[in-house]
Amino acid sequence: MSALLEVRGLGLRFGNVTALDGIDLAVHERELLAVIGPNGAGKSSLYNCISGLYRPQQGSITLAGADLLALAPHQIAAAGVGRVFQNLALFDNLSTLDNLMLGRHPRMGSRWWADWLGLPGALANEAEHRAAVEEVIDFLHLARWRDYPVGLLPYGVRKRIELGRALCMAPRLLLLDEPAAGLNQEETEDLAAYLLDLRAERDITIVLIEHELGFVMDLADRVAVLDFGRLIACGAPQEVRQNPEVIAAYIGGAPDDGDPGEAAQENPA
Amino acid sequence: MPNRPLAADYRDARRLWAGRWERRGLILAIVAAIVFPMVAGHNALTIANLTLIAIVGASALMILTGFTGQISLGHAAFLALGAYTAAVGGQAGLPFWLLIPAGGLVAAAVGLAVGPFALRLEGLYLAIVTIGLIFLVNHVLLSFPDITGGVGGIGVPMHLGFAETEGSVLTPFSETWQLGGIAIGFEQKLYALYALIALATVLGLRNLALSDTGRAMMAVRDHDLAAAVMGVNPARTKITAFGVSSFVAGVAGAMFAYQQQYLTVEPPFNLLLSVQYIAMIILGGIGTVFGAIAGPVAFVVLTPLMEALGRQLPLISELSSSQQSTLLFSLLVIVFLIFEPLGLYGVWLRIKRYFLAWPFSY
Repeated sequence: MSALLEVRGLGLRFGNVTALDGIDLAVHERELLAVIGPNGAGKSSLYNCISGLYRPQQGSITLAGADLLALAPHQIAAAGVGRVFQNLALFDNLSTLDNLMLGRHPRMGSRWWADWLGLPGALANEAEHRAAVEEVIDFLHLARWRDYPVGLLPYGVRKRIELGRALCMAPRLLLLDEPAAGLNQEETEDLAAYLLDLRAERDITIVLIEHELGFVMDLADRVAVLDFGRLIACGAPQEVRQNPEVIAAYIGGAPDDGDPGEAAQENPA
Repeated sequence: MPNRPLAADYRDARRLWAGRWERRGLILAIVAAIVFPMVAGHNALTIANLTLIAIVGASALMILTGFTGQISLGHAAFLALGAYTAAVGGQAGLPFWLLIPAGGLVAAAVGLAVGPFALRLEGLYLAIVTIGLIFLVNHVLLSFPDITGGVGGIGVPMHLGFAETEGSVLTPFSETWQLGGIAIGFEQKLYALYALIALATVLGLRNLALSDTGRAMMAVRDHDLAAAVMGVNPARTKITAFGVSSFVAGVAGAMFAYQQQYLTVEPPFNLLLSVQYIAMIILGGIGTVFGAIAGPVAFVVLTPLMEALGRQLPLISELSSSQQSTLLFSLLVIVFLIFEPLGLYGVWLRIKRYFLAWPFSY
């Protein structure tokens, strides 16, 4: 297996606070890698470095050999990195359909003047990409909500829309930041099913940040554990679970299916 | 909420009429627009022309502020640039069909020059900086009295063809034409021209709203970080909005110049004009195509009503009539912002939902 995403010696500091300290991580093609760690371990900072929102002081990030640190966020998206945020980052005033269509933006290559004048080419382009979006709407069962502004929709549905928006990008690498946070048991099970379907149906590499260990254990091929900005373990779920350093740093006691107190804290208001 | 039956196909969604009633409404509107200039008096035609100009101007601001979320108080500057292009060009004997787009291009050139500076500013900071644009443009216009007429103002001749082509005989657009016994006056001709421009502007606005470019603008407005992570280039999107918006504003300015026939810098091209346009799009419904039409119409219709009301109220009646209407109008906008942030568009949605659900209106 070749590495799709390679992170080498990544270091990120905010003043005196070290958010990431020499992270080395390789994500293979079509792998599902889970990144876990306590609050403030640097999980979201790692994502923000990959998607270009933070500029790390040290190290390199490459996607299939291309240097991501040289690119602006929108160029990274065009290179095939899709992302779902921890706290929803949807376009609240736009409909579900429009939110999903924005996932197609880097692929549409539309010209403003053609869009403005409503030229036939622009209309055909739009219709073509709508077809791709309709597929995602079917896949995630969003048809019922397609014309509603997403700001009005229930939380679970909005999480699904955000996943759908990232899928519409047809990314090579999908970054999910706590997709199960704030979902109830049933919604979490649905999400896991979607993710498994996703890997089965589309050639997609997924990196998943999660708090709920149980969710991750069943789903991930490998688990990487961050603590205070350092990568303390990386390997198969069962292996990581037995790692004494992980138990000490993260679980803080006997191996167990997650710390419910911590998962509850993480639920966005 | 969906404001029309589900349209699964993009072509259905783009259709101007979704149902029988919308088609009837559209036909009625077209007939009214054609019959109106034949029966309307001079004053009504003038008001109609000013409304059409305001629709074009409000559409321009809708792109920049409504769609892209860039609060600009420099709108008057772009209108002034378009208007003075028409005036100066008219003095040089150029025809109107050249000068109206030229006004747009001059304004767009300035808009594109200013756009990059606006990239690092957001919200109120951008609003404050764009106020400076008004003073800048007004200062420049007043500094070259030989060309722009300075404080004294400048006439705006409206030529049909190039003035030079037939010796020194000008072919003014303003004379009355006789067509098979029907006299078509200046106001009527302006109305026909402006109705077409306004129609084209609104259709363009609608195209934007339903297209990838418009969605990218709204994404930048709603959540610029997420927009960038989705592959939208926020800088390019904002500059595009600045360019298109200032072009359309320049066209509106040129239309205004021909309608007024004589221009001074200030009034009308001051901060108040910018604020009025902001008020129009808020009143109409910010970020909607409907609002770009309803806002200006309401503004033009309500202004004389506000003046009449202002004369009846204690304290307010002490003010000048334009101050009265400004004050009352501001209050109206505040009321809308608090109770119906979607403006008249929100009111329209409520009415429509009421009738869609009728008789089960609970």
